[in-house]
Amino acid sequence: MAETNANPAPAARRFRRLYYLAPVIALAIPFIVNEYLQFMANAILVYILVTLGFNIVIGNLGQLAFANTAFFGLGAYTTAIVMSYFGFPYVLAVVAAAVTGGIAGFLASVTALRGIRLYYLAIITLAFGELLRWVYLHGDKVTRGSDGLLVPHPYFLGIPMDSETPKFFVFLLITVLVVKATSNLMRSRIGRAIVAIRENEAATASLGIHTAHYIVLAFVWSGAVVGIAGAMFAVLTGRVFPESFGLAEVIVHFGMVLVGGTSSIVGSVIGAITLTALPEYFRQFPGMSELFFGIVIILVLLFLPKGLASLLARISPRFNERYYLD
Amino acid sequence: MLLQLTVSGIAQGALYALIALSMTVLYRATTIVNFGHGDFVMGGAFVVYVAVIFFGLPFVFAAIASIGLMFVLGLAVSRGFIDPIKTGPHIGFAMMSISIGYVLRGGARTLWGREVLPMPRVFDMDPIFVGGVVITGDAMIICSTVALLLAVFFLIFHRTQMGTLVQAVFQSERGATLVGIDVRRFHETMWGVGLAMGAIGGILIAPISLLHPDLGASFLIRGFAAMTLGGFGSLSGAVVGGLVLGLSEQYLGAYVSTALIDITAYLVIILVLVVRPAGLFGRLVAVRM
Amino acid sequence: MSEPRNTVTRVLGAACMLAAIGTVNADETTGLTDTTIKVGVMGPFTGNASSYSKAEIGLIAYFKHINDQGGVHGRKFEIIQEDTACEPAKGIAGAKKLIHQDQVFYLHGNSCSGVAMAVKPTIEPTGIPWIIAHAVNQDISKPPTKGIFHGVPAGPAYGTAMGKFVMSRPGTQRVGIITHTNDWAKNYCEPASEFMATKGVKPIVEVALERGQTDATAQVLKLREAKLDFILGCLYEAETVVFLRDAKRYGLRVPVMGTAGTDLENTLARLGDQDAVKDYYVLHAYIDNVDGPKMKAWNDIVLKYYPDEKITGFSTISMASGVAAVKALQAAGRDLTRSKFIAELDKIKDLDTGILACRITWSADDRQGCKESAVAGFVNGKPTVLSGWNKPL
Repeated sequence: MAETNANPAPAARRFRRLYYLAPVIALAIPFIVNEYLQFMANAILVYILVTLGFNIVIGNLGQLAFANTAFFGLGAYTTAIVMSYFGFPYVLAVVAAAVTGGIAGFLASVTALRGIRLYYLAIITLAFGELLRWVYLHGDKVTRGSDGLLVPHPYFLGIPMDSETPKFFVFLLITVLVVKATSNLMRSRIGRAIVAIRENEAATASLGIHTAHYIVLAFVWSGAVVGIAGAMFAVLTGRVFPESFGLAEVIVHFGMVLVGGTSSIVGSVIGAITLTALPEYFRQFPGMSELFFGIVIILVLLFLPKGLASLLARISPRFNERYYLD
Repeated sequence: MLLQLTVSGIAQGALYALIALSMTVLYRATTIVNFGHGDFVMGGAFVVYVAVIFFGLPFVFAAIASIGLMFVLGLAVSRGFIDPIKTGPHIGFAMMSISIGYVLRGGARTLWGREVLPMPRVFDMDPIFVGGVVITGDAMIICSTVALLLAVFFLIFHRTQMGTLVQAVFQSERGATLVGIDVRRFHETMWGVGLAMGAIGGILIAPISLLHPDLGASFLIRGFAAMTLGGFGSLSGAVVGGLVLGLSEQYLGAYVSTALIDITAYLVIILVLVVRPAGLFGRLVAVRM
Repeated sequence: MSEPRNTVTRVLGAACMLAAIGTVNADETTGLTDTTIKVGVMGPFTGNASSYSKAEIGLIAYFKHINDQGGVHGRKFEIIQEDTACEPAKGIAGAKKLIHQDQVFYLHGNSCSGVAMAVKPTIEPTGIPWIIAHAVNQDISKPPTKGIFHGVPAGPAYGTAMGKFVMSRPGTQRVGIITHTNDWAKNYCEPASEFMATKGVKPIVEVALERGQTDATAQVLKLREAKLDFILGCLYEAETVVFLRDAKRYGLRVPVMGTAGTDLENTLARLGDQDAVKDYYVLHAYIDNVDGPKMKAWNDIVLKYYPDEKITGFSTISMASGVAAVKALQAAGRDLTRSKFIAELDKIKDLDTGILACRITWSADDRQGCKESAVAGFVNGKPTVLSGWNKPL
């Protein structure tokens, strides 16, 4: 049988098992780092999911939809609200964030379905995100506006998440589950349909595939994943502020996707790690982080358009994921 | 009060129109929306500031220098950064324009340090009073500049051979190349023109607000809203869109709530794209991915 | 991943125990060596609030000045700067880095209230001493906690000063507010309104002006319609200029009470129009004008270590809490510990820093050391410190 991603040859399948090694190795992190580095590791986990979710819409589906901060902020605020006003335990709060994110994803997909594409889609999704930020700021009866909404101490299965280490284990668990689920989705018929839509929507439709369903699914999944990331972010920072979810943030997300590699799951992880960790070295100088960010993206676009993940692919074809944006 | 708000709205709207116009010119010529345009506007203003304060040039020369510099920058951007990724998806263009803007902003911030700088006042015209309404010198100059630019580009695009060239390239790059049009050179020139117009915007805007590296950000969104409202690709639409946006902000702010001024642009965008995506004067053009 | 639930719980529990062992009882002499005291200075050195980090620059200049004079009991300050960019997430990362990686002796700085509130849960449990050198939100230091000290007037102090000045104008009845909608502005305008309410005056109209807006026509017209006696203006520097310019343009000639976020000299320089600022007043936390004789020595310290720095109303404000900190460090003696430092800070009463108009008084029950601020306005075209309406000091 011809080798496809759905039915990989034994060697490739064995190789993919190596991917499971990463979280196992990661378990050792809390024992060798201090609180600050642990905090950064937690932040990286959050942004892995952010990038993963964004990549589905931008990379796999190929739509220029910048609603990522909208999903992110909604997830964070939902978590904060259900925990502080309704006393939800953290697990339920994460689910609530995923649901809210998914609904927002659905709304975003509606605009895409109506034929709004490209720059129009980019602009309307940006506008949507900014509008939400205004709501966070002015809905201060509920969101506490610019004071920020305090997230009560979360508990996971009865264990308090009051320092970075327990947060890490919970985040790692969530991240692994979500990445695995997304990976399964993208390797399935559904994932292939999504990519086919990106390549040529009309042709895909002519094959009898309901493109609308898959577009909606991609957006909803993306929204849910990023909503979950938002739930993690709320606990990471302990207090949810409107300013965290503006235009500058979505550009950072975009950068992570591009640097890591569009429509590549490994790429999402790499991009998140790179753009979360590296700016920490530039804390001192006014403007340096913006310069660094801009230059890195430009270099990637010019010389490594498929992102850092394509570098890995050059090392070994086994890293090659089929769905790179061509 | 209504009259004063209207005057103010037109003055503000003219600024937005200028931004939208420069982005539209670029879009018409290259099918690219320059997401970093706000930072180029800031860059134009910054060059003028440096020229006037550090090199002691009189304002007019500084302005010309700035426009010229930004034109050359436009050529460089097109040749060095946009052209190489031409075969990639539009996502790449968006990100490239943002990143160049970021480099400009970061560079400005590094040179600037921590200060908020006053722009030298250039047009110290006294405002004129009509009835109880104040019309400022700034407003008159901006409006006339925008009107002039609109007329110029309208003429160019619709009456001259250059304009036919623009339409030809916009419709089919391959076809244009086949008939002997140097598309690459054309793109470069138009990038230069687009950025030069942005510099004009910066020169007009900077004396009104203070000069700081984040100047461009809020104008970018207003420019988008104006373009969306007027219809992507339509020159007159960009201007009308800008004016309508400026007026809406003033009216909503005064009669409903000042808190709405910040998000009027977003509301306009969403409203237009939901109700009539083509905008007032545009047609939805299918652009090949 | 099909391990049974209880194994996961056990692993998590064990990990938590291991983590707890390694944690957080602030070591008394962390950050000290025989010759150095490590101090962590957080501030918005980048980003759109970066002009406020001039305060931290002044503080660092002061530390360097003390170093050049031999330090404190033979120890010199080793200053570790961390940028918050006025963003909560960055601030938390910076705070954690200072506490857990750089392992500083104490923290001193912070201009952005939002960031200070965001990092407070990270800092407070460690008990590490933290002196707030610029941020205004009173919730940072109230209720008092083990190690947190407020070294500038907090919101209520500033707001009261604003309200007092407004009310000192005879016949003030109709008051309006123009403000940003962020917490920085609320820290000024809300306590000011509260003070005026105690005198029976409530604001008639409130308008919002957001950051980055270059036109205040709608706001000015609305305020003009209300025929006000006084306006509270809780705006940043750039927007203050926009507002005052438009106020003059549309004939809104009402006195405006600003915050500690602007200063008269720079506002005038940016407006370029004496007439537009003649009714503008600002909070002035200092004992003299920014370029007055009493401030010269302090300005010179800043310029000695940062010769390119432009002196504004932010430059020296954090040096005052630096003076208090050094005093406490000296009193604690060579045998320095964090607890001793905190105890000495609590003993500071009525300290005249030579910079602030107030005298710093700290105690374990009240960590808001500075309760007063003066006001400044233009008198005959010159910025002058005022004790009340038409009352130069």
